[in-house]
Amino acid sequence: MLELEGLVRHFDGVRAVDGVSFSVERGKVLGFIGPNGAGKTTTMRILATLDTPQSGDARIGGYSVVDDPEKVRRITGFMPDYAGVYVNTTVTEYLDFFARAHDLRGEARRKAVSNIIEFMGIGDLRDRNVESLSKGLKQRVALGRALIHDPQMLILDEPAANLDPRARIEFRTLIRELAADGKTVLLSSHILTELSEICDSVTVIEKGHILATGTVQDILEGIRSRRILSVRLAGQNDGAERFLLEQPGVLNVHEAGGHLQFEFGGGDDDQVDLIRRLLAAGFPVLEFSAHSAGLEDLFIEITEGQVQ
Amino acid sequence: MSRPRDFLGWLENRSDSLSPIVVKEVRQLVRAREFMYSFGASLVAGLMVASFGAGDALTGKGTSGSWTFAALMGCLAFLGLAVVPLGAFSALRNERMEQTLELITLTALSPRRVVIGKLLTQGVKLATLFAAMAPFIAMSFVLGGIDFVTILVSILVLFLWSVWACALCLCLSTLFKARAMSVLVFGAGGVVLFVILSMAGNLFMLARRGGVSGPVVFGAATGSGSWMTLAIATSFCLASMANLVFLAENRLSLPSENRVTPLRTGFLVQFLLIAAWTLTSINGPAADRSGAVTALGIFGGLHLGMVAIFTVTEDLVVSRRAFLHMKSTSRWRWLLAMFRPGGGRGAVYVLAQMAVLLFAAWMLGADRFKVRWLVAVCGYVCFFTGAPVFFFRLLRPARAASLQLRVAVMALVLASVLLPDILYYLLWRPDVFDLKYSARHLLNPFRTLANWPLVETRAWFSVPVALGLTGLLAYLGVIFTGMGMAGQPATIDPDGSGATAGEPGSAHVLY
Repeated sequence: MLELEGLVRHFDGVRAVDGVSFSVERGKVLGFIGPNGAGKTTTMRILATLDTPQSGDARIGGYSVVDDPEKVRRITGFMPDYAGVYVNTTVTEYLDFFARAHDLRGEARRKAVSNIIEFMGIGDLRDRNVESLSKGLKQRVALGRALIHDPQMLILDEPAANLDPRARIEFRTLIRELAADGKTVLLSSHILTELSEICDSVTVIEKGHILATGTVQDILEGIRSRRILSVRLAGQNDGAERFLLEQPGVLNVHEAGGHLQFEFGGGDDDQVDLIRRLLAAGFPVLEFSAHSAGLEDLFIEITEGQVQ
Repeated sequence: MSRPRDFLGWLENRSDSLSPIVVKEVRQLVRAREFMYSFGASLVAGLMVASFGAGDALTGKGTSGSWTFAALMGCLAFLGLAVVPLGAFSALRNERMEQTLELITLTALSPRRVVIGKLLTQGVKLATLFAAMAPFIAMSFVLGGIDFVTILVSILVLFLWSVWACALCLCLSTLFKARAMSVLVFGAGGVVLFVILSMAGNLFMLARRGGVSGPVVFGAATGSGSWMTLAIATSFCLASMANLVFLAENRLSLPSENRVTPLRTGFLVQFLLIAAWTLTSINGPAADRSGAVTALGIFGGLHLGMVAIFTVTEDLVVSRRAFLHMKSTSRWRWLLAMFRPGGGRGAVYVLAQMAVLLFAAWMLGADRFKVRWLVAVCGYVCFFTGAPVFFFRLLRPARAASLQLRVAVMALVLASVLLPDILYYLLWRPDVFDLKYSARHLLNPFRTLANWPLVETRAWFSVPVALGLTGLLAYLGVIFTGMGMAGQPATIDPDGSGATAGEPGSAHVLY
């Protein structure tokens, strides 16, 4: 559905986007993560046809964003990181305007507006002025605007930025529903836990370069040579720390919250052997766990946190 | 279902045929405080003027319709040429500031539809304000002293120029992103509006008198002079309004689009109008035809100069998107070539118009003196727009972006106007600094063309001929350089310093 090929965009000599390539299949949700100034918004603006690349191309539904921006716009909905609302305009009028602007006419237009109002759950707001809504509600109306012409591809730049926890949960559900409906979603966010729960896969970008693409676990396994393991013993840890350090592949043993945490360079079989040896040595093992890596770990692991 | 609801439903369906921008803005308009104030103020002003007019009529000292109408037109002119255009300026500017213009860009609305929608909204606003004044204007007719045709023509003319002022303000609002520059531009726009207000006043007086020399009111005018003036002004207004819309569209379009063809077509129509109006004297007496040739040289030359600054300096390489769109299979494509971007086609476009200019002069039976003057006009245009562009492209091809080339053209014009006198003063240190036109001013195109009889009598032809030939050769150079680049679109530049896939030359973000 979405293919980027060597996308390049400079601003005054700075390569905001430098040879970015990745792809997303239909009906999938891809999280786009990276520190501020990494090139996320620039890439998204190019995909939304608001900017042009200096080289490379991107195809949405087979249409080039450089050669066929009109066709791309027909099948793409873009929600930028600002609401973009009008004064003296009700929610219904706001959505009606964008439906008209997408060349929806008569009954089709009315149906599109009422469907979106229903889908977004903003029926109570239909006669409220858009500018008077809270940030979260504006965000919801903005998502409705991006969906009004029933696009196949959704590009959402920081969509959860202004939402309260409850609205975030509702938003997550909306995105999953859209993906289940066959829409492809590309979304960026700083709230990384948010992304890990919504996205099928993630793409990490820094200084305009793609650092990694895949599922969170795949990427972590790909980039980490060691896994982090944790052992909790019944009673004192006397001698356990020393014993672990003597085992092959074990590094940096330290105590954290009653657990012994350490890096382990072996594979699954080696890990089984390690547990056996611990038990054979008579250590009262209460818990043994592999540290579950999240998106934040991945982010810290991959990026240097530098902006251009 | 009740009748009012049926009617509203019917209206809703009919609104599908309107521009979405108009529908949205009219909905906003009826709730906007600014519009309520101006509508209320126009009603109060109309009522006051009409009351004074009625009071004056009751004294029995004569008819008061004439001055009542003039006062009402003054009120309308203020609204139409100042208040509504100010709204037009902020309408598009606010869309940019609030970034809602980006959201519109993502829809099926093209930049042209957006600009036309904004302009039509101003038309609706104007029509509402004019309608509010209509009863009072009708009253001025009843009070006597003014005929119906004068009233009708004056209102139509004012309405048209008000829409033109709105188009100008829309265009100005697209020029700069920075607030300070916008304010500066609008200040300059204010001065232009002041000039237009004066023009509108003169036009009204012209209409009142039935032409410059006519003693009677418009409707009863015996001569066709006033109607001719009106027709010229109206056609110019419509053509330039379309060009203002195209200019605003150009500013709102992505750099990768073909932003040139509508502008080229529009400005060619404007130029042909200038030629056509002068050609109306073709069967007139020799003095009229000579005057027509002079008008052709002045207005046509100014038009060509302005157009050449922008067309000859354009990028020679076109974007990939524009290139793909230009791959027409029509057998008329060679005719359309000069309307397309890049490849030195801008220079061909200007040369073609120069040929039209000289052909129109020949049709008017211009004498040798006038022909030489017109050739000099073309020669100076060629030199000042062609030479800096060609040499810049030759010597610094990497830096030859449109903006730099335009600055170079303007710098050369400025130098040619100022340097002869400055150098003369610095080098010769004259006791009396004589600014009268002399041989040293031959580099100055404005003074030379204004003093052409002196150039003829003193036979100072060498400088204009040399400049003209240099200009023509430079134009040919630009065309041949462009032809070499026209076969392929902009290529990928690994350093990103030159031509690019998305756009030729340097890249800009849309807003």
